Amino acid sequence: QALPQRSSGSSILVSPRQKGNPVLASLKSVPWEYSDIPADYGLGLTTCALFLSLKYHRLHPEYIYTRIRNLQGKYNLRIVLTMVDIPNHEDSLRELSKTSLVNNVTVILCWSAAEAAHYLELYKSYEHANFAAIKGQQATSYTEKLVEFVTVPRGINKADAISLVSAFGSIKNAVNADPEAVAVIGGWGEKKVKRWCSVVEEPFRTQQ
Amino acid sequence: MSANNAPQPVKLSLPLEYQQHLFQELRNEDELVILARGLGLMRLITNLLHSYDAAGNNLIVIVGAEDRENAWIGEALAEHAAISMAPKARGLTVVNTDFTSVAAREKMYTRGGIYSITSRILVVDLLTTLLNPETITGLIVLHAEKVIVTSLEAFILRIYRQKNKVGFLKAFSDNPDPFTIGFSPLATMMRNMFLRKASLWPRFHITVASSLEGKKKAEVIELEVPMTDAMKEIQTAIMECVEVSIKELKKGNSGLEMDDWNMDSALLKNFDIMIRRQLDPNWHRVSWKTKQIVNDLTVLRSMLHSLLSFDSVSFLQHLDTIHAAHSPQPGSTRQNQSPWMFLDAAHTIFSTAKQRVYASNVKATEKTSMESLRPVLEEQPKWAVLAEILQEIDRDLIFEPPMRDDSNGTILIMCSDTATTRQLRDYLQKMYIKPKEDVLLAKQDQDRGQPSAAFLMRRKLRDYLKWKSEFAQISSALFAENQKALKEAADPRLAQGGNKSRAPANKRRRQRGGSVIGAAPGRAANGSLMPYIEKPAEVEDLMAEVQLTEEEANEKADIIADPLEDMDDFYELYEMQDLIVVHAYEGDQDEHVLEEVKPRYIIMYEPDAAFIRRVEVYRSSHNDRNVRVYFMFYEGSVEEQRYLASVRREKDSFTKLIKERASMSIVMTVDAHGIEDPQEAFLRTVNTRIAGGGRLAATAQPPRVVVDVREFRSSLPSLLHGRNMVIVPCMLTVGDYILSPNICIERKSVSDLISSFKDGRLFTQAETMFQHYRNPMLLIEFDQNKSFTLEPFADLSGNLNSVNPASGPSDLQSKLVLLTLAFPRLRIIWSSSPYQTAEIFENLKTQEEEPDPIAAVRAGLDKDMKAEDQAFNLEPQEMLGVVPGVTPKNVKNLVLECANIREVANLTEEELEPLVGREAGRQISHFFGRNLIDID
Repeated sequence: QALPQRSSGSSILVSPRQKGNPVLASLKSVPWEYSDIPADYGLGLTTCALFLSLKYHRLHPEYIYTRIRNLQGKYNLRIVLTMVDIPNHEDSLRELSKTSLVNNVTVILCWSAAEAAHYLELYKSYEHANFAAIKGQQATSYTEKLVEFVTVPRGINKADAISLVSAFGSIKNAVNADPEAVAVIGGWGEKKVKRWCSVVEEPFRTQQ
Repeated sequence: MSANNAPQPVKLSLPLEYQQHLFQELRNEDELVILARGLGLMRLITNLLHSYDAAGNNLIVIVGAEDRENAWIGEALAEHAAISMAPKARGLTVVNTDFTSVAAREKMYTRGGIYSITSRILVVDLLTTLLNPETITGLIVLHAEKVIVTSLEAFILRIYRQKNKVGFLKAFSDNPDPFTIGFSPLATMMRNMFLRKASLWPRFHITVASSLEGKKKAEVIELEVPMTDAMKEIQTAIMECVEVSIKELKKGNSGLEMDDWNMDSALLKNFDIMIRRQLDPNWHRVSWKTKQIVNDLTVLRSMLHSLLSFDSVSFLQHLDTIHAAHSPQPGSTRQNQSPWMFLDAAHTIFSTAKQRVYASNVKATEKTSMESLRPVLEEQPKWAVLAEILQEIDRDLIFEPPMRDDSNGTILIMCSDTATTRQLRDYLQKMYIKPKEDVLLAKQDQDRGQPSAAFLMRRKLRDYLKWKSEFAQISSALFAENQKALKEAADPRLAQGGNKSRAPANKRRRQRGGSVIGAAPGRAANGSLMPYIEKPAEVEDLMAEVQLTEEEANEKADIIADPLEDMDDFYELYEMQDLIVVHAYEGDQDEHVLEEVKPRYIIMYEPDAAFIRRVEVYRSSHNDRNVRVYFMFYEGSVEEQRYLASVRREKDSFTKLIKERASMSIVMTVDAHGIEDPQEAFLRTVNTRIAGGGRLAATAQPPRVVVDVREFRSSLPSLLHGRNMVIVPCMLTVGDYILSPNICIERKSVSDLISSFKDGRLFTQAETMFQHYRNPMLLIEFDQNKSFTLEPFADLSGNLNSVNPASGPSDLQSKLVLLTLAFPRLRIIWSSSPYQTAEIFENLKTQEEEPDPIAAVRAGLDKDMKAEDQAFNLEPQEMLGVVPGVTPKNVKNLVLECANIREVANLTEEELEPLVGREAGRQISHFFGRNLIDID
């Protein structure tokens, strides 16, 4: 089951306590190995994870606190990977929210062993990733931008965006159009026309 | 005008017995009134308001009114005041945007009168006691069906009732449907509104029936109009597509209750909404394909409607747009095309629609081997019927002139929307104009000839052909990337044309062999429908066929927008007698139309149950106005079905409501301590567990939460308030909820989360939170009824691609991972519902200091910027944010310097440069100015 010993750089370190956890069976795309670490999973130099099943937590509420204490503030990002495996999870989760604030851990919920494993894999593989993917500004084509722009007001959809621009030729013309001229376009009912025309005229700032 | 026996010195306009009855009831006690649509709800409300207005010295607030209703109420109050000469009446004041400043609002409120206030403003004003609830004389709630427990309106009513126990409270609704969904829905709704009595007025109510079915009945003539074969064919094809889509949906979502997902209910107006609602609990989990199909159903349903209402040319044009919009996006590996587009039926839709407009001639001359096109221009069958009715009315007027009565003799044509009014107006104006001298035709009818829409249709076709050629350019410009992607596989159009070299974008036409007449439009390599573009030569033929004839050129150009500038020079008053008025159904507004036009004849071009009642009410209200109604619908069409279903549904709803009211037990619970009820209802789940000092805050300061005013759209503030927390509404720059000087919370629903990851908003928000607070938290809030899991978001089949950082993260989980890696100290709160969130907040706040609202507002503001400058309208800003070149940094300059989107769009590069810099300016002006038609 355990992989042959390798330099631990690219693999997830797993504490022997986790032996028998079904999560391990789902850890497929990133190599892992047993190692004697205070956390359950070592996901890089500054990141670690504790695994907590809510079912277990309900029986032994003190367990997770002991484990967090044992980490002794070693890691920068400390995940409590919580598996929601009971139906009435509200009380436990409320308590965990408070705990995360007090004890400086980050709660991540998962609903199955496969998902838990997926998170572990993600943390490991993103260890050195940059954050461009969540900083936005992903390059998109002109069309997509255009459609996105026109469809901001509620109720205006993609087909409307295309018909609007095709009727006026450019966005500038569409922005300057009279309501009557917009209303002539097929598919543009009263409400849409009103929304479009009011949104382009609506002042950015509310008057004092 | 009937004077009222009651001791009010005001004149009312409620002639019918049931209206009088209802009015008396409302004057005497607080209740919820559900009136069947079309029975004059607004009239009742305005009369009621007037009776209070005339008395003066009051402060009445209208909750939940829409713009149109505000306008009506305002007008009606002024009119009433003039009629009954009430010196104290002050009319209506509308407070609907943030336009009026806080100070002005405060002054206004102290003055008293009748106010219609947008819920979001009202709740803030009540919480800040800018409008002291104790000073309110009474509340009128419109659209009571929307007052569900988590709504803003319910929140308002709770605040009102907590502080003010004597003021009146009357709620109105004309939509019984929402009151019948769920467990003891009526009782729940009434509890939300703190009302004890429900008053139900269906059409079959005995008083209503006797008021309307007296001797003064309106004459109604029903006309079933058959559809043309082509229309039937298209309708069947669309239905087939719907059926297949539903089947796909069922396949993809086993385990849901799908008994209702059949063809019968598919005809209903809100079928797609119904499905959406059923899927909603799992919406963030359903597969991408299911979402696509649900969207398709919306599109298909709109097609069903436009088939009946649009003329054949417009319908074809509409289809072209739909087709273009549903082409696959470039670069997507998914099978992005909607499933119905692959069906044969889809082909039937497109080709039949085309054949209704033009068809190919079979006569092949030697000169051209290809077939030529000739216009067909099928007319809507209802047009001919309409013309017939008008002729009949004409004859009637001549041969048996009606007795003089109070009506104007006007003919009123009612249809469903403004587009149809335009269409009908065009038709009526042009129906006797012949497109060209046709000797044969002219001989056959000596006089004016048969009415026909040929002129109109030819003009439409001309416009269409012109539009189509432009549209080809635009879609090639818009979807150029797309086509490149397709070409890599194999561009069938190029391949078929045998073009070795790449033709310019707009010249690429699909070449067709001459022998294939009316063959299937091309299918792309992936089997999807290709847009068909006719050969230029063919189009020229067609153009020549419909080119302007002399008669046509003589007609003036169609006026779309009438500036109404030189009114006096060009306009005169017409005799009402000579007029044909075409109007669209507008809900309650139709009553005004009837009263003002006083028609002798009404032609209902499309069926509408509420309007029939309005005619009944109108007829019964006026002794001496005769009305004849012609009522038209397409035989065997969706339109007919929908009409019947809506009538049936309303009846069923009322029956259910009456049954529930009969066995309702709510009455007992609301009295005496009823007013305290809201708190108790919310508190009953709390505190029993947290014994012994858990709620130490109760003895000290009450717990306080600073809430961003924009958050009042969600239900959380209401629930927090329900948990006895003091809500301080503020305009916050950083965070949504401030629980303590250290804790700042950004709330995201799952859909928000997805979108704010996409545009990077969340990253920026997290950054600023960390600048100002020690413990920023991200609250991921699931919906009350939605499943509490993110699970099937990602493909968990264990393939490595999804974990490969190079390919970029696509699923939500990986983005969450990145976020926590980027901000290791950002805490995440998971909440399964807003109720749960309220509990969590309470828990987090214990043993923390109370937040300081002033500090919270100041956080994130520039030093020299005043808090008031932060009042922004969201939608235009959001639009601006999408524009390439606009960044979160330079957007501030733009909104400060420009008034609105239009101004930004009209700026030149040079003018933009000082605001945003050269490169960004170039991008912005390019985005707005790019002309998609004249691209070479």
